[in-house]
Amino acid sequence: MIRRIAFALLFAAGLVAGACETASAADPYAVTQVWQHNYSQNRPWHGNYYNQNYGQPTALVVPPTAHMRQTLSWGVSQNLMYPIHHQFGRSASYPGAAARGSFNHTPAWPSHTDQFGTYYVRGPW
Amino acid sequence: MKKNLANGFALLAAMTAIAAGGNRSLAQDLAPGEYIVGPERVISDSVVGGSGNVHSGQSTGGGIVNSDSYVGDMSCGEAGCAGDATSGAGGSGLRSRLSGLGGGGSRVGDVGNIERGYGQPDLFYNYYTGGMANRANAQMYLSPVPVPPNVGHTFFTYQPFYPEEMLYWHKNKFHNYYDNGRGMNRTRATYFAPPVRQAASNLYWNKLRLPR
Repeated sequence: MIRRIAFALLFAAGLVAGACETASAADPYAVTQVWQHNYSQNRPWHGNYYNQNYGQPTALVVPPTAHMRQTLSWGVSQNLMYPIHHQFGRSASYPGAAARGSFNHTPAWPSHTDQFGTYYVRGPW
Repeated sequence: MKKNLANGFALLAAMTAIAAGGNRSLAQDLAPGEYIVGPERVISDSVVGGSGNVHSGQSTGGGIVNSDSYVGDMSCGEAGCAGDATSGAGGSGLRSRLSGLGGGGSRVGDVGNIERGYGQPDLFYNYYTGGMANRANAQMYLSPVPVPPNVGHTFFTYQPFYPEEMLYWHKNKFHNYYDNGRGMNRTRATYFAPPVRQAASNLYWNKLRLPR
């Protein structure tokens, strides 16, 4: 009986431990962090469109554990997945807001999710 | 480097000797406006007026305690710490004098002393997008456009309650400095979602709910 209870307790503990997923479980040395940082250096976080409400491309903060974003467009082969390279950091950056006319507006008939001017940026650790 | 260090020590020893000698000679004849802190003067935590600055050069060797020779009781900006913008101007006492003697700077192995620094982090600091390829950058709070100064700002003054901490399951530690950085307390926060409730929510939102 005691053995059965102990086994059940162990099983429950295993379930709980399996449910707790930590951020660095698969990448203990944070190698992908370095990759993402390097990739974000020469790629913009934004697309070519501004958000209609703000007049600027708008960053949507996602958890820093988020890896991928998906873009949807017309046509089956246009639904693509990209890694989210950019992450918010402490350094104040230049330039701030872009001048008027630097970005396109959302077309009257949008055909791609990037055209709405909202782009994912991972939050800081 | 080692030679530099040895030279520095030799110079320091020489300076101490000179200062001690000067102390003995100066003890007899003081210039007008100079004084040595003795029992007739009350030594307290408050800063004494700057008239005694002439003697602060001796306080390293002669053992005379002067009012502006300590740093630990005032903030870094007041004391003119290393790296502070005001210390270059040589505003007060010992530090400017020592940098004048030893040739400036508080490098290791140099004659100049390295002041004691305290952490005084910002109350709130924004986060920004980085990288070289951005045509526009976003700040995380009040993104994407900065608010004009007359509008005001948003401050989160308690770091464990920052919304970005609520985004994922993790633990974090926060260090809060007080009393001009002389005191520090530590806050340990755990951000987690209850597993059973999360599993039920996932079951509903991802499996049971009809997509419409």
